[in-house]
Amino acid sequence: MSRREFDYIGKPLARKEDRRLLTGTGRYIDDIEIPGALHACFVRSPHAHARIRAIDAGAARAMPGVITVVTGHELAQWTTRLRMAPPIAGLLPVEMTTLPIDRVRFQGDPVACVVAIDRYVAEDAAEQVVVDYEMLAAVTDMWHALDAGAPLVDEALPSNLISHQTFVHGDPAARCREAFKVVEATFSQHRQTHLPIETRGCAAVWDEGREHLTMHIGSQVPHPMRTQLAARLRLSETQVTVISPDVGGGFGQKIALYREELTVAALARELKRAVRWREDRMENLLAASHAREDFCRTRAAVAKDGRLLSLELELREDFGAYCFYPANYLARVVAMILTGPYKVQDYAYDVKVVLTNKCGNGPMRAPMAITSWVMDGTLEAVARELGLDPAEVRRVNMLHKDDLPYTMATGEVLEDITPHETFEAALAAVDYAGFRARQSAARREGRYLGLGICVVVESTTYGSRFYKAAGIPGSGHESAWVRIEPSGAVNAAVGLGATGQGYETALAQAVAEGLGVDPARVRLHLGNTDVAPYGMGSRGARGGTAGGGALYLCAQEAQAKVLAIAARMQGLDSARDLRLVDGRVVRHSGNAWTDTGLTLADVARTAYLDPVALPPGMTPGLDFSKAYDPPPMTYSNATHMCEVAVDVETGAIRIERYLVAEDCGTVLSPVVVTGQQHGAIAMGLGGALFEEVLYDDSGQNLSGTLADYLLPTACELPNFELIPMHTPNRRTPAGIKGMAEGGVMGAIGAVVNAVNDALAPFGVVADRQPLRPDYLRALLRDRAPNVETA
Amino acid sequence: MDKVVIELVVNGKPHPLRVEPRKLLSDALREDCRLTGTHVGCEHGACGACTVLVDGRPARACLTFAVQMEGHAITTIEAVAENGRLSPLQQALHEEHGLQCGFCTPGIVMTFEAFLRDEPDPTEAQIREVLSGNLCRCTGYHNIVAAIRKAAARMRGDEEYVAP
Repeated sequence: MSRREFDYIGKPLARKEDRRLLTGTGRYIDDIEIPGALHACFVRSPHAHARIRAIDAGAARAMPGVITVVTGHELAQWTTRLRMAPPIAGLLPVEMTTLPIDRVRFQGDPVACVVAIDRYVAEDAAEQVVVDYEMLAAVTDMWHALDAGAPLVDEALPSNLISHQTFVHGDPAARCREAFKVVEATFSQHRQTHLPIETRGCAAVWDEGREHLTMHIGSQVPHPMRTQLAARLRLSETQVTVISPDVGGGFGQKIALYREELTVAALARELKRAVRWREDRMENLLAASHAREDFCRTRAAVAKDGRLLSLELELREDFGAYCFYPANYLARVVAMILTGPYKVQDYAYDVKVVLTNKCGNGPMRAPMAITSWVMDGTLEAVARELGLDPAEVRRVNMLHKDDLPYTMATGEVLEDITPHETFEAALAAVDYAGFRARQSAARREGRYLGLGICVVVESTTYGSRFYKAAGIPGSGHESAWVRIEPSGAVNAAVGLGATGQGYETALAQAVAEGLGVDPARVRLHLGNTDVAPYGMGSRGARGGTAGGGALYLCAQEAQAKVLAIAARMQGLDSARDLRLVDGRVVRHSGNAWTDTGLTLADVARTAYLDPVALPPGMTPGLDFSKAYDPPPMTYSNATHMCEVAVDVETGAIRIERYLVAEDCGTVLSPVVVTGQQHGAIAMGLGGALFEEVLYDDSGQNLSGTLADYLLPTACELPNFELIPMHTPNRRTPAGIKGMAEGGVMGAIGAVVNAVNDALAPFGVVADRQPLRPDYLRALLRDRAPNVETA
Repeated sequence: MDKVVIELVVNGKPHPLRVEPRKLLSDALREDCRLTGTHVGCEHGACGACTVLVDGRPARACLTFAVQMEGHAITTIEAVAENGRLSPLQQALHEEHGLQCGFCTPGIVMTFEAFLRDEPDPTEAQIREVLSGNLCRCTGYHNIVAAIRKAAARMRGDEEYVAP
């Protein structure tokens, strides 16, 4: 893609969102004033697993300022259950009530909701609700979840094995017999949580006269949220408006309709008063949504030079106690794209997902986060076993330009990706040979440096055909409208839900490009279901391709009509030689573009206010809608390089350098893409090094504050060096591919590989995260460095 | 709980309030003074989103009771841009893409408006040390650090500065 190809796409414009957010005039959920609104507070289970014998809310109800206390019994009258039963082989159907009625399944499970005149009173009253529990044995470990006689997390199921899928392509067993060597490796990723700095929250306003619910809620998916809310309240979609204002981060936590939010909405309708709820940080850590916690074992049959002959994956994931998503949903993607940038056709997987008495899991930025660590970590193990250079082992297996399009063993097709190119560029940028020399010199001085490589192929945009093939209800398309107002001002909307990415900026550039106006003139309207067209919202990395693509195509149609009118106004037969540039109609003649004197505002005025001047048969107005369904899947790719210094006495890791060469297709806004790269790497590093949701054996969550759940601060994270190597996708509008999750995948793999590289002289391998100092010290205790390796 | 009458001076303006003694400064600012730019991220002093200035010094509004603040001057994010003009720090955060969702941003602005007055020429290590009191989940801090360095340079009159 040459830089000249686009006028507005790819320009580094500062964000439109910033001014209000910098001056304290943004509007997040809790900033919305609703006179007379009541406040909800939830009573939560202190036990991991218990029967509810009785709930006594008498004392709480009698407190001044308390309006009501409700439990699962009332909610069962007011709402329907959630049924999660997509037709997927090996996945068991499950149901849950809006609040538990007779049994709690994890510490933090909501059992009652107090409504009071303010949050302080509601919290006081929640403490006065007495719940009589009969404690039950809990299962808190995925390795015991399938034991005979293990407590059942969901009594309606035959066991805690909620989902199990297997797959074989080719003949891995035969390849193992023929192999020079069969190398096994394991990878253990711990439980984490999204931790948006703005916790969950909502404000439900019921209009009794119009019988209409307005739900203010920070949501990545306003339309699916409305569909679910309406269905579970037995309302029509005409009776529910979802409005998502400024949102203080989502990262996957703000997709599902959670039980607390449905409870608040139901209460607003029953009480005929506005009710609002803001989760506190402890609730967010204990009971919002968790993520990850998966274990992988790989078995690679390899030739003498490290070439992969076959690969087998065994994956087990701990999904927690409740399914707000199909339980196969996250693990499935790992198994599907595992082989990523490498050539191997003999492939098999066995994926088990189990329930435990912990908070339910959901997708967190890169639901398939573990993938690249497992794949590149397997090649690292191959390199160790065969005494080969880890970069060389990657090189002999890597897909080159000539191999594309490449159909992976799972049937996924890779095309328009550049793994080899980013790999070589990243190696050159870090001076790989130079690093090895520095590393050797440092080891002689007792300092341990490591360089970690991670090559990422990121599944970004999931089209409708993917959903259909996967048996997942839902769709991959997105819809947009573009409206040029009589003054020439441009409004546009799409179904995505912004949570800080900078959509108002990046998407305005897509509209500006398609239409031919300055992005400053374009205003995006997001998050209001009465305004934006029905869309699937923001999840994965689909925003750019699905949302940006829909807007770009819609704006192109708008330009075509504008030019048709302009041609008529100029007395021309056709608009063939006309273009809209910066809101002015220009005409091509004699190898040059000349200004016609007509502006978008002139055309708009004619379109709306002088329809008789329009070409015969043309509809008045400039109002456009477009739906766009992306290809079944688009992929971006990158190579991450992380250099660390490990203090072997203390187990402390310092990141000395971090570099990424990335190809994520046509970039709408380099500002926004850079920010997404930084943020994704930060989340990956935080997870790999510090963050951990920790439960004890009885199911008590030990990480309920930000002093226990450790987010990386500015002192732990490095500066990030980025090498943009973007090439367009040939099948998408403008060549957009999508991005924002691959950084997590790459960072996890790169930092763990780097630490293992540093520790190589000690003959130890860290195969589980987080890489906390005590873990590294446990590995190193009584180990002396091997001078030969050094 | 009985309410008490207090006067909070916020951004130079007196606000006569009737609040419970247990009411947090963060809630009083947001609900009673209707200044919602101060955000509440954790309510246990860890995230820094609610940082305001008390007599010019950064403080966590979530760890402070409103009644304790009588006789003190409180400054919030709403007062940083004067007459609609972004401060050099705000402007640099905008130019360097130092914010994404923006929820932690007011706390960071308040922390560094004070810090850059005390330390006009900080090193990157100093900036990172101070910034470690504010958690950001979106940016990875890289661009925030670049913006603070740029703002410091401009405030010193060094217009040549180019962010790394």
